[in-house]
Amino acid sequence: MIIELESVNKIYNLGEPNEVAALHDIDLTVAEGEMVCLRGPSGSGKTTLLSIIGCIFGPTSGRATIGGKRISRLPDHFLTRYRRELIGFVFQHFNMLGHLTVLDNVTLPLLPLGVSPREREKRADALLSKLAIGHRKHFPARQLSGGELQRAAIARALINNPPIVVADEPTAHLDGQLAREIVDLLAGLKGEGRTLILSSHDPLVAGHPRVDRIVDLRDGRIRHADAGG
Amino acid sequence: MSAFFGRFLNILDYALGSLMRNFGKNCSIFILFTLVIFLFASFQLMTGSLTVLAEKILVTAPDITVQQMSAGRQVAIAEGAKEKLAGILGVKKVTERIWGYYFDEATGANYTVIGLTPPEGARDDASWPGVSEGRLLLPHDRGKVVVSRDIRDTLGLGDRRHFSLFRPDLSMASFETVGTFAEKLDLLTADVILMTLADARDLFAIEPGLVTDLLVTVANPQELDTIAGKIAGILPGVRVITRNQIRKTYNVVFSWRSGLGAICFLTALAAFAIFAWDRASGLSREEVREVGILKVLGWQTEDIILLRFCESAVISLLAFLTGFLLAWIHVAVFHGTLLRQVLLGWSVLRPAGAFTPQFAFADLLLTFSISVLPYLCATAVPAWRAAVVRADSVI
Repeated sequence: MIIELESVNKIYNLGEPNEVAALHDIDLTVAEGEMVCLRGPSGSGKTTLLSIIGCIFGPTSGRATIGGKRISRLPDHFLTRYRRELIGFVFQHFNMLGHLTVLDNVTLPLLPLGVSPREREKRADALLSKLAIGHRKHFPARQLSGGELQRAAIARALINNPPIVVADEPTAHLDGQLAREIVDLLAGLKGEGRTLILSSHDPLVAGHPRVDRIVDLRDGRIRHADAGG
Repeated sequence: MSAFFGRFLNILDYALGSLMRNFGKNCSIFILFTLVIFLFASFQLMTGSLTVLAEKILVTAPDITVQQMSAGRQVAIAEGAKEKLAGILGVKKVTERIWGYYFDEATGANYTVIGLTPPEGARDDASWPGVSEGRLLLPHDRGKVVVSRDIRDTLGLGDRRHFSLFRPDLSMASFETVGTFAEKLDLLTADVILMTLADARDLFAIEPGLVTDLLVTVANPQELDTIAGKIAGILPGVRVITRNQIRKTYNVVFSWRSGLGAICFLTALAAFAIFAWDRASGLSREEVREVGILKVLGWQTEDIILLRFCESAVISLLAFLTGFLLAWIHVAVFHGTLLRQVLLGWSVLRPAGAFTPQFAFADLLLTFSISVLPYLCATAVPAWRAAVVRADSVI
């Protein structure tokens, strides 16, 4: 299993008056190459679960093993290291830096790895062409449309060639046709052997034929796990 | 290219881009920092230049100057003391001098009048200041003077060579300028009117047989202090000033004035540090978002600190080099116009000569140490504050 969560709890602001329990006793395993959709209303804990799977922070209690690395009690430095080795992120709000070009945005994860400019551009060119956005690589990100931004964001998520891609509401700001294209693109990554974890309440995502499993979250608990597609 | 070096170059490249993107904010810091460095480096270069010049000028200073004191004030000394001094073993020569000040009401300037009987062959005598135009005084000259270019200008002589000064009884003494001091000696000669001993005595109405100082030349400079001690023993009530004491006085004066500059610099630096801190610590929403995105994409906290460090280092190093270069140009080309009054006094007649900046690695290092390093330290905490923005802030 590439992702193993066992009795995972997450409590924000632990011990403080504004303490919030976001996840309760989550048990979840995901096999390599699987495509899993987390479904649930706002506040159900989808983003928190994605953040733990994405090595952004560890659980408050329980055991979390991602890509064979046990991340439950790791300091930030190691979480960051595993995140850049294992995870590619696609965000709901794209999170592109508007003043940078598409090329610069896509290659951002490679800078602290010491990858040379030539190698960075070579890798980015390959991905941008594959995602049909190569012609926009020198444009500032702020000049791109929503669909183009999300394609660029997928390219950025893949630039490190991560085995796991985590996408948080990837179609939330896209209209029907564009949303379908983006889900198709993401689903296509499954064919490359990558594991995909998507959160969405968009039926288009949950109903995509390549989704292997749908995990329903309510109030921080897994209510139901279904076979997808 | 190692990954470590590659990482550094990549982050430096990103930092340069970031600086350009926030051009307005960074430009204001750069300009202020450059100004602070410029002021301090100008003071340093000018003080160094003056110290070197003073050393050169000291060659023309007498080995020992002897002055008569009465009630703690200087009074005229009898020429008869000359024989006593000449009799001391090791004394090579004793020269009489009249040194006084003449206030010119018309111009508001104070001239230093020096009356000396020039030795035969003064042209070859290193203890005599050189002239750039005309000639030196000759032993039997009467009514002839050598003045500085500044005095020629102040008196409005133009092409004329004659001018008059008032004696104490308000009668006029006329003089003809026969030479102009070399500009390189401006620090010493800017306000000097050099004339023969007899003319100075006549101008100040000093009684025959009296002078203001006796100048002693010693045969062996190593014995300077010993001979100074002997003079003090033989002539009680005199003040004995050695060349080393004059050197110390120069150093004290320049150091004191430079110290004033240093205080101004430190005040400016402190104000700038507060400004830099304020600018660097105020993280905008956009900056927080940028750091959050970088962290979620795999940038470590130390990568963000390195990024901020590169930004600060580029600004401070550029400001340091620019400030120092401007200071050099200010001193070498513009003769320290902005600060020369602070270092050279407020007299009407100030030395107009050029400063020659002295390059000293220690000065460069000192300026660097008290400007760039504090700036980097001042921006370290804001950099750390930026770097600890949580990755999940953008989720």
